[in-house]
Amino acid sequence: MANLRGLSRPARNLPVSQLARQTYTAIPVRCASSQAAEAAAPVLNDLEDSTLTAPQLSEEEKKQFRPWKRAKDRKFALPSGRYQYHPPKYNRGPLHPVQSPPSSDPIARDFVPGPFNLPRLKQTYHSTIASDLMTLAYTHVPPGTPKKEAADRLRGWDGSSPYHKNRALRGPRGNPVLPLVERDITFNNIPELKEITIASYVPDAIKDPNHLLVARSVLLALTGTTPEITKTKTNVVQWGIKIGDRAGVKTTVYGNAAYEFLDRCVHLVFPRIKDWMGISATTGDSSGNLSFGLTPEEVRLFPEVEANAWLYPAKMLPGCRVFIKTSATSDRQARLLLQAFGVPFYGEVRN
Amino acid sequence: MGKLPSTVFRRPSLAGCLPTTSPSLTHPPSATAVPLPQNAATAAHQVRHATFVLRHRRPYQFTQLVQLSDGSTFTVRTTSPLALYKSAKDSRNHILWQPTEKSLRNVEVDEAGKLAAFRERFGTVWDLENPAAGPKQEVATAATAAAEASKEGEKAVRVEKAGGQKKGDAKVEVKDAAAAQEPTQVTAAQEDPFDSLVDLISSYATEDKNIKGGLSAKDQARKDKSGKKK
Repeated sequence: MANLRGLSRPARNLPVSQLARQTYTAIPVRCASSQAAEAAAPVLNDLEDSTLTAPQLSEEEKKQFRPWKRAKDRKFALPSGRYQYHPPKYNRGPLHPVQSPPSSDPIARDFVPGPFNLPRLKQTYHSTIASDLMTLAYTHVPPGTPKKEAADRLRGWDGSSPYHKNRALRGPRGNPVLPLVERDITFNNIPELKEITIASYVPDAIKDPNHLLVARSVLLALTGTTPEITKTKTNVVQWGIKIGDRAGVKTTVYGNAAYEFLDRCVHLVFPRIKDWMGISATTGDSSGNLSFGLTPEEVRLFPEVEANAWLYPAKMLPGCRVFIKTSATSDRQARLLLQAFGVPFYGEVRN
Repeated sequence: MGKLPSTVFRRPSLAGCLPTTSPSLTHPPSATAVPLPQNAATAAHQVRHATFVLRHRRPYQFTQLVQLSDGSTFTVRTTSPLALYKSAKDSRNHILWQPTEKSLRNVEVDEAGKLAAFRERFGTVWDLENPAAGPKQEVATAATAAAEASKEGEKAVRVEKAGGQKKGDAKVEVKDAAAAQEPTQVTAAQEDPFDSLVDLISSYATEDKNIKGGLSAKDQARKDKSGKKK
């Protein structure tokens, strides 16, 4: 087939089968490679077909081709060149004829592009930390070992009264909230970072709302998400706050953004804090969520804030509290994870 | 054509916060400064049959190259418009993250021997942290205990340490473990042979109490030398 290209233009217009027959008769010597090419010819026909090999249009056919006539005869109007599809502003349920495109579609209203990079910390987690944690926390249980019976966490009724029958069990003494049961770290339960919430309480904003603007800008710069404004929950007359005062901002980052924020904290911000010993080891809500605080001076150390620090009024710069939520079910497992991420802890550990 | 979302915040005003009694105000006053005025308005008039599809408001994020102090680089997505961020102080040259790096240690410059003379005269009680007296003794006791105690004993001690007891308590525990006979250790080991090692591991990194250094150059050199001999 390749030797078609060497032929003259009129010869190319001949049917391929004729050419092939000619070449076949011209070469009496058996040649395995060329025969193989012949055998493959029907398969490659699709590839070799091009407009060049097609027969040229005759004059009559050229006269028949009148696109302007077709456009003139058309009964309906095509959309103009400036037509753009806009997805509907409202979702009106699955049975409505107008449906929003899925959020993965770039034209959808709720489309968010990305991810644009693989965060370093996430990469480290998946390549190293996860398997390390699993291996370190492995406890061998010989096969056939009877399973430990979990103690009843809810208290029953002694049955001294006939009314105890079918009565709901009681919670633990002293604390109405049942604490989480710690799950062992196994191949399908390795603690991981889920989300990070950054909150900033700015009581000065009650007098001067500009504080809120600064706090929102700072949190926006830190996380790349739009923070929401929080309201005071309690009345404290001495502090001059009352319920419903807008005196704080908060935002939550998930996934890649959370990894990047933690990475920035650990490797760029924490080392630059003067006389910093680490995060207090007593932190935690005993269900795997750890937190720490940053003063305004420490917030200023973030590269994003530092890049245009002159934009923020120095006295209005807020501190913030950072809540790291992990999928661990106990504080010690969460601490283990964060230590693997490079977060130092100091002081007594509590649980 | 709806408005494109923008992350530029509007300046908040006190007028929105103050309670108003005008009936013409259709939406609650707090909605004036909620980040999404459009969204807030729709949220106020939320109806059953139509849900507003939110356009996410997010700032432009740049891809920034971060160069750490040891020269390693990586890219991050950030709101900072700088293309390259070079850090002078980070976890690569901080004693807390690089505890074995000798050049990062807090070494006292005591060429005239004034500090040494002061310590000779008044002791080390005036030091902010007292590294000279504490750790050495503890190391010694721990070494003797380790020599005497069996493997199970050691393990028990470590687990107890991990439980969050103070230094002094731990020392006492070491002595007790050394004094205790085999049977008690065996029972302790049998008590929780399959207990999770998470405690042990998680307490490991917090063990090092004296990361900040504080030894003089001479002491440090002597310590290093003695360490090499062993």
